[in-house]
Amino acid sequence: MKNIVEIKDLTKKYFNKKALDNITLNIEEGKVVGILGPNGSGKTTLIKILTGLLRQTSGEAFIDEQKVGVYTKSIVSYLPDRNFLYKWMTIEDAFNLFKDFYSDFDENKFEEILNFMELEKSVKIETLSKGMHEKLNLTLVLSRNAKLYILDEPIAGVDPVARDQILDAIINNYNDKSSMLITTHLVRDMENMLEDVVFLKDGNIVLTGNAESLREEKGKQIDDIYKEVFSQ
Amino acid sequence: MIKYMKYEIKGTYKYILGILALVLILITGIYTYISRANRGSHIGTIFIGLSVLVLFGTALATFLYIVGSFRKELYDDRGYLTFTLPLTGNQIVGSKLIVALLWFAILGTAIAMYNIVMALILNPVEVNLSELLSMVSHIISMKEIVVIILGLIFNGVNMLVLIYFSMALSRVTFRNKRIGGLWFVIFLILSGVIAYGQYNVGELLPYYVDLNTFNIESMNTLRHQLNMGINTGIMMSTNIAASIYSIAITVILFIGTGYLIEKKIDL
Repeated sequence: MKNIVEIKDLTKKYFNKKALDNITLNIEEGKVVGILGPNGSGKTTLIKILTGLLRQTSGEAFIDEQKVGVYTKSIVSYLPDRNFLYKWMTIEDAFNLFKDFYSDFDENKFEEILNFMELEKSVKIETLSKGMHEKLNLTLVLSRNAKLYILDEPIAGVDPVARDQILDAIINNYNDKSSMLITTHLVRDMENMLEDVVFLKDGNIVLTGNAESLREEKGKQIDDIYKEVFSQ
Repeated sequence: MIKYMKYEIKGTYKYILGILALVLILITGIYTYISRANRGSHIGTIFIGLSVLVLFGTALATFLYIVGSFRKELYDDRGYLTFTLPLTGNQIVGSKLIVALLWFAILGTAIAMYNIVMALILNPVEVNLSELLSMVSHIISMKEIVVIILGLIFNGVNMLVLIYFSMALSRVTFRNKRIGGLWFVIFLILSGVIAYGQYNVGELLPYYVDLNTFNIESMNTLRHQLNMGINTGIMMSTNIAASIYSIAITVILFIGTGYLIEKKIDL
């Protein structure tokens, strides 16, 4: 199967500190992959390099066989770990922006997810709570029929009800022809949807593999393997 | 690029309209006060001075707002949206530049027109439009007006591009530090270096083009014509080499800014 993401010897240094240390990783098309690790393990750094927000110190990263750039930005649907929409916008403005810039944006899907998330188009973004922000951002990101979805901590900091809604939205709207890369440290909530997992510790990949195979091999849930790996 | 410009305009128009409304109210107040306080007297100098002050204030506030808008992309969370849109760095910088110039043009024209209207309302004089135009055309030709407008646009572009470049360079150099005003220090240094280069280039190749006749003259010829009172359009002359240098620097800074925000900035 073709790789949607190919990462080779990728290193990112901040002065003397290595946020990513020479990692090599391939992600197959059609897979849902969890990048797991505690805060500061390098998850967000890796994702920011893949989305073109950060430059690697050395090594290479390709998405759909292309270097990160305008083309890869057009096929990647990215959910950052912050409120990235312009403050002056209403939800409708954000919808129009996505419609204007992404040819893979599906208006009907947007309406469906927006209803599911119980959000109104006329609401100003500035007035949204953190949970609502997260729901809106995810609505926009999932309304694209992108080749690759990159979700950075999609359920961090939201209440349990919003968390369930967000997880349901991801499961119900994920297109199985696409690939999804999800970073999280809330493994228990997300492990059922992950096909492959990558454990990242201090910028290094310490364990990787198929989630089901790892469960069988270790006789544990991914959440327990996570605790084992990161408590050492 | 047009799409991005649309969202730039949507994001800034309320502020610009607010500024415009404020300035027009201030100008109305100034004119009304002056006309009531000194009816029939010659108060032109005062009201022109006050209008210029108001204009200067507006220009400064708008300028800072526009400059701040670019800086927000580099330091605030909105950059996560802007820099993940499928746009090149040049398209982003170009859009910001065009929208900035558009706002300056709209504000400048609206305020100038309003000043004329207010002056005519409060000090009604019989004006024969064709006479007025003929008077103006004696003082300044249409060609000169076009050259002046083009010059203003170019200087605006030049200044904005240099500011954008300084901000992007400041962000790239000091990646994780938000040092307020550092970009301004870079801007001042670059301005000095560029002006020094421009002066030297002009000195090295002292050939000028007369923008009225498009004749190429040396500096000596121009000085001679000025002394003899032959060339009244001396102010419309420009050093060829310095102008090419200036255009080239602007293009380089524009491409450089696009490159920095597309390839070098770490958010």
